[in-house]
Order: sequence, then structure tokens, then C-alpha cells
Amino acid sequence: MSSCCEKPETTVVKATLTVALAGNPNSGKTTLFNALTGLRQKVANYPGVTVEKKTGRCKLPSGQWINIIDLPGTYSLISRSPDEQVAMEVLRGLRADTPAPDAVVVVVDASNLQRNLYLVSQLIELGRPMVVALNMMDLAEQRGKPVSAEALSRELGVPVVPVVGHQRKGIEHLKQVIAQAKVAPMPDWPLPDAMKEELMLVGGGLAILHDGPEDHESKDSMPTGNGKGGLLDRYKAIAERLLIGDRAGDLLSLSQKEPVTSLLKSAAGRMGQLGIEPMQADIEAHYRWIEQVGDRALGHVDGPKVPAAPEAEVRSRSWTERIDAICIHKFWGLLIFTAIMATLFVSIFWLAQPVMDGIDGGVSWLGAQVASWLPDGPVRDLVNDGIFAGVGAVVVFVPQIALLFFFLSILEDSGYLARAAFLMDRLLAKVGLHGKSFIPLLSSFACAIPGIMATRTIESRKDRLATIFVAPFMSCSARLPVYTLLIGTFFAAYGPFKQAGIMLALYALGIVAAAGTAWVFKRSMLKGPKPAFILELPTYKMPQASQVARSVFTNTKAFLTKAGTTIFCLSVILWAMMYYPRMPKSHVEQVEQQASLHNQDVDTAIAGEQLRYSVAGRFGHLIEPAIRPLGYDWKMGVGLVGAFAAREVFVSTMGIVYSVGDVEQEATPLEDAMRADHYADGRAVWTPVVALSLLVWFVLAMQCMSTLAVVRRETGGWKWPLVMLVYMNALAYVVSLAVYQVGTRFLHG
Amino acid sequence: MRKFCTVESCNQCDDPRTCTLNRLGIGCCGQVHSVGGDMDLRRRLLEMGFCNGANVEVIRRAPLGDPIEFRLRGYHLSLRDEQARHVNILPASR
Ligand SMILES: Nc1nc2c(ncn2[C@@H]2O[C@H](COP(=O)(O)OP(=O)(O)OP(=O)(O)O)[C@@H](O)[C@H]2O)c(=O)[nH]1
Ligand SMILES: [Mg+2]
Repeated sequence: MSSCCEKPETTVVKATLTVALAGNPNSGKTTLFNALTGLRQKVANYPGVTVEKKTGRCKLPSGQWINIIDLPGTYSLISRSPDEQVAMEVLRGLRADTPAPDAVVVVVDASNLQRNLYLVSQLIELGRPMVVALNMMDLAEQRGKPVSAEALSRELGVPVVPVVGHQRKGIEHLKQVIAQAKVAPMPDWPLPDAMKEELMLVGGGLAILHDGPEDHESKDSMPTGNGKGGLLDRYKAIAERLLIGDRAGDLLSLSQKEPVTSLLKSAAGRMGQLGIEPMQADIEAHYRWIEQVGDRALGHVDGPKVPAAPEAEVRSRSWTERIDAICIHKFWGLLIFTAIMATLFVSIFWLAQPVMDGIDGGVSWLGAQVASWLPDGPVRDLVNDGIFAGVGAVVVFVPQIALLFFFLSILEDSGYLARAAFLMDRLLAKVGLHGKSFIPLLSSFACAIPGIMATRTIESRKDRLATIFVAPFMSCSARLPVYTLLIGTFFAAYGPFKQAGIMLALYALGIVAAAGTAWVFKRSMLKGPKPAFILELPTYKMPQASQVARSVFTNTKAFLTKAGTTIFCLSVILWAMMYYPRMPKSHVEQVEQQASLHNQDVDTAIAGEQLRYSVAGRFGHLIEPAIRPLGYDWKMGVGLVGAFAAREVFVSTMGIVYSVGDVEQEATPLEDAMRADHYADGRAVWTPVVALSLLVWFVLAMQCMSTLAVVRRETGGWKWPLVMLVYMNALAYVVSLAVYQVGTRFLHG
Repeated sequence: MRKFCTVESCNQCDDPRTCTLNRLGIGCCGQVHSVGGDMDLRRRLLEMGFCNGANVEVIRRAPLGDPIEFRLRGYHLSLRDEQARHVNILPASR
């Protein structure tokens, strides 16, 4: 299959080889990375899944271990977005944290040969030993266009291995061939003669400059270029990069140095007079070469080539086109989009309910069992009221989390997301965002952190910032427990459909807030030119059960881990804060007297007073004046502060508050305890308006430290996370205030 | 099929007059003639394969009218109207 008859010339003898996986977005790099290393990185069917480099190890058949780097996809080595930049820098060896790769495995989507070969043509110029992994051979064959690996290998002069990544076909072969990676011979690009001459001139000039007086700086800045054909070829390759406007890190200082600048200027001037624009001429030459190579690899005989073969006429419609005819149809398209989104949220709400009730029952039962084993005292209270009430309140939401990730991963793996971005681009453009903002924003419904990471595919910095800034308004899965608890408790009379409607309205509120914010910011702080939108629409693929199962499993596990660590610790701390200090004896007696005087239940009075006496109680009362106008009491205040560690903590706080304050032996369900809570004057603590105000707070407020940390990292400073924190919380405060004040006016007189 | 094309000759195709990609009717084909726009956009369009007289077919417009879906060199991609207007096209018969 590959040309393995020749001797591997460039097998470097080194402790561990580093091999980079490069290729166009969505060509299957991560699929191959997982197959080679046994790791489980995220794979999905849209361009731009991987936005960071990831390293793993792989054992070759020879017994040698190598390091494999999975890179973000890129269409070109002249990068535009931050993720492409990472790929380019690793491949060129410009990153301090990654060794320059000893070899490159180029993943080529065989069903989309020509455009994938463009990156190959640039990687040939890069001059690193190379192997081509011809992926998606199954799709190419289905289309009746099988690519011949032998022919391609003959054309490129490097080994070519046909693989089917998701079925692990050809992986062993690929492992064997990696050791035979070769520097490809530099093709004779069909450039205009004038440009060839200029390359010679500039390349020669650079060679003279460089070989003149020892100049370390310029020596360092000329590291890449296909070095095989001799020194001059290397300089010509650098000249080519300079002339076509490549200003990557290794060329920047060189291109600004004086003799080089004028050399380039005069060369460009001379070509301009002949009507040649170097960048365009270069890309066209590459594509001309690609057209020839591609034709031969597809088994087309060399013949007089008509540039535009009338292939469109004979083409029968592919599956993807048939599905698209409905899915992005003018009328059905939007309907289907709305239906998918609505199903997503509604089903999360009620499909999960029975299982959640089951878990709830199980947790209470287990808590009661454990408690019955323990002697009376603080330990038993801790286990019962702290751990089971706190962690249990959160664990109940596992089914919802699992369902959310189930639906999301089906959407991601099918290829629909790119279509959704296509459908939504116009709407997003209205508020100054971008079709490419859609996937980050949708991911933020699961969690803002991967969503913010996914913005790396957005080229313009201002657009990227705007998307990052509004991503936390998308209701993430950590808010789901709060929404469900409050809606289920205070809007129980409304029935499942209206409840789902309230849920949808909350999600919608987040979206509206995001849109408004983006609109304002894109007109002020983030004003900029309208960015280009170029989005590839991948072929639909059947979602893989294993992929979906893995996504559900890892994310559910992450949620449970969080419940077992962060929320567990916080529950213990919160419990302690609500339990201590204990009231002195004299104080207890005083309360007893008071209670019997007013004919109240003594136990309840003591429990209430103890809660008030505790650290949390004092703290809660301290902040109560600030949240009173929003309709919240001190218990909610404690929950809101706890929610800054993780939003779910609000739910566990409620769990703890109402079971510490609960005197019954039999645990009352949290919902009932909340509904039964009253102020001293007999008013209910919780009313639907209070719940609504609280829900609005949770939709709009920035309460997630991890998100702020990621925003800091992605924006490179504290400015944006701080603006975000202040803006979102101020907005949340104002809107919740309005909801409560207006709500109470209208509903209570 | 609705026609967005404003060039009369677009679907008849015996007129070699050039038109821009955004004005090509849905379902129409054409050959890339040249690519305009600023350096950055031009580079990107060229790199995606809008060069050397490649065949482009207009598949559809998004329901809200804006991005346009094209088929080019065997794959599908979408551009906003604003980018598509920088691609000059020689309309061809279907
Ligand atoms: N039919 C088919 N599908 C494949 C093959 N290899 C990968 N896929 C699918 O192609 C899609 C993209 O795969 P990824 O591995 O995420 O692609 P990637 O190159 O890492 O993409 P980015 O990270 O976005 O650059 C997924 O849906 C895979 O399941 C293959 O050989 N045949
Ligand atoms: Mg990937």
C-alpha cells in the first residue's frame, strides 16, 4: 500500500519520537489519536471540536514508544483563529512547551480529497518527515470515488495508509508506517515563470544575507522550509512564505528587517507590473498541482484536463443532501430546529422525573438506615442533615444531567450542529455575533467552560470576546437542579407541560439576556468590522452508540465526582456552620419559656432559634437587608453565597437548612418543608413570586469561579472576568428586584 | 425553485458575462473566475478552493435568507452574502 520498498531515510534515533497529527478540521484526527493512544478525547462531527493540543503515548510494533500530539484542525498553515494558531505553531516548532515534531501524520479525508490536499501541499513545504493517513475511506467508497493509496503515495513520495478511523481499520498498518515517515520531495509547483524567478532572486538574496556575517538572530529565524533539495531550496521556501504574506512567529522579525523588506517590496512590485499577485498565484499553483495529483489518485487517466468536468450532471444526490433538503429547508428547517431544541429541554424535564423520584426515595431510605446505626449526637446529625440532605439533594439530578448529555452528544455526532450554525447565523448576526458562536453557546447549556474553550474557533478577537462574554448566560447544567427544585416545588399545580414551559422561559431569558448584552457590547466596547463567515458543512454521520455512551458516562461521572468532592465538603462545612455554636443552656430555657408562653411548639421554636444562633444564621441575617428587596430571606442568602462555589450548592444548602431545622424523626421531603416555612408573622417564606425572583437571579447571575478562571485564561487578563462578574450580578440584581417588586404588587394587592 | 439571481443570463449560460456568486440562482452552477475582497478574505476563499475555474453549485439559502450553501470541489460550505459577493463567476449550464 505504501511505498515501503525504499529504505526509511529519516528514522531519527532518539529516546522518544514526537509525532503530530495534523489535518483539516473534522478529518478524523482525534478519532485516530484515540485509536493510537487508547485515550478518550472528544470526537464529534463538526469542524472545530479539538481546540487545544493533547499528547498521548503509543507503542509501535517495533516496541518503541512514541509521543503523539493531537492538534486542532486547520485548513492552512497561515492561521487565523487561536485554535489554528496552536496547530501551526506546533507544526513549525514555535512553541516552547512542545518539542518540534519529528514526524507529521497528515490525516486526509478521502471523501474530500482536493481541499484536504491543500494542507498536505503546505506541509510538504514545511519539510518534516511525513505519513499520510487516508481516513474516511468508507465514505469515499460509498460515493464511488475510492482513492488509490498507492497512486497517492507515488505522487507525494511519502507513505500513504488507508484507514477507517471509527472502525479502527488500518490502525496497525499506520503504526508500522509511522516509523517510515519521509520528507516529501518538493514538487515543482506550476507557478508563473516570473514568480519562479522572483523566488530565486529573493531566496538567493536571503542566502547571501544569512551566510554573511554571523547573525544569530536571523539564523534562529530561518528554521523551516523544505530542506531536502539543498540550501537554496530552503531559502526559496522561506522566500515563498514571505512573498505570500505569511507572518508567522518565526518570520516576523526577518520580514521587518531592512534589506529583506525592500527585497520583498521590489519583488512584489515587479510581479505586480505583470499582473501577478504572489499570494493568489501561489495558492492557484498549489491547487493546480492538487488537481493533477487528485485525479491520478482517483484513478483518472492522465489526459487533456478540462478544468471544470461536468461532474455535477451525473451526480446523484447523496444522503447528506437529501437530509439537508428537509433539515435546512426554508420552512421545515426552522420548524425542525425549534422542535429539536424544545424536545431537548422538555424531555430533560419530564423524562427524568420518575428516575429522579426513585433516586430521591433511595437516598432518603439509605440516610435513614445509616442514621439508625449511629448514636444520637453531632455525628448522626452530620451524616443525616449534612451529608445525606446536602449531597443527596444534588445527586438526585443525575438523570437530568445524563439526558442532557445524551441529547447533546447525539446532536454533536450527527453533524446537525453545523447546520444549526448555518440556520442561526442571520439571527446571531443581528446582535453582532456569528454563526460560529452557535456551537460555543450551545455547549454552554451543558457547561460554560467547554463553551468558552470552543470559542477558539472564532477568528476575530472581538467576536470571540463577545461570545465568551455572553456564554455564561446560557443556562448550564449546574442551574438545572435549582430550576427543577424551585419549579417543581412552587409551580406544582401547573402540571408538567406548563412547568416545562416555565423551564423553557428561563432558558429563553438567558438567551435574551445574552442577545441584548452582545448587541450592546458589539456597539460599544467590542465594535469592529463585520467578520467573514466561512463554515464547512460536514456530511451527516450516524451517531455512534459508543461515542454517545462515553459522553454520557464521562459527564455524569464528572457531575458525581463534583457531588462527592466539592459539594460533599461544602455540605459538611455548611452543616457545621448551621449547627455551631450550640446555644447555651440558659438561652434554650429562655426560648422554651417564650414558646410555652405563646403557646407554640417548643421543639420547633428551639430548632429555629438554634439555626438563627449558628454561624450561618448570623451571617445570613447580616446580609439579609441586601437581599430583602428581592424577596429572599436569610436562608436563601446563605444558599446564594454557597452557590458561588457551585450553583448546585444552593440546593444542598436548602436540603441542610430544612433538615437541621426539622424536628421530626421522619425526614420531610424538601419540597414540603420549603412550602411549609413561615415567617414569624405567619407569611409564607416561599411564594411563587419569590421563587420566580430567585430563578431569575440564577439565570442571570455570574456565580461560577471556574468560569471566571477560564475567562481569565482565554482572554489573557483579569479585565474581562471582572467586567463579567460585575455586569452579570448587577443585571441579575436589578431584574430580580423588578420581578419581586412588580410581582408582589400585582399578586398581593 | 425560487430564483435569487438578478442576472438574466445566469440560467441560460450562453452569455459569458461574469456575475458574482451571491447573485447566482439556487441550483445554478458556475466556474470561479476570480476572487476579490481584502487580502485576508481572498486568501481564505482561495485556500478553500475558490480558484482555477473550480465548479461551484449554489445549493440553497438559509431560511432567514443569509448564509448561502455551496458545493465546491466535492464538499459543502457556506458563506454569507457579503463574502460570496467577492467571488466572480462565469455562469454555466446545469
Ligand atoms: N465514516 C467515517 N467517519 C469517521 C471516520 N473517522 C472519523 N469519523 C467521524 O468523523 C467525525 C470527526 O472526527 P474527529 O476525530 O472529531 O475529527 P477531528 O479531525 O479531530 O476534528 P477537529 O478536532 O474538529 O479538527 C466524527 O463524527 C467521527 O466519528 C471514518 O473513517 N469514517
Ligand atoms: Mg479533533
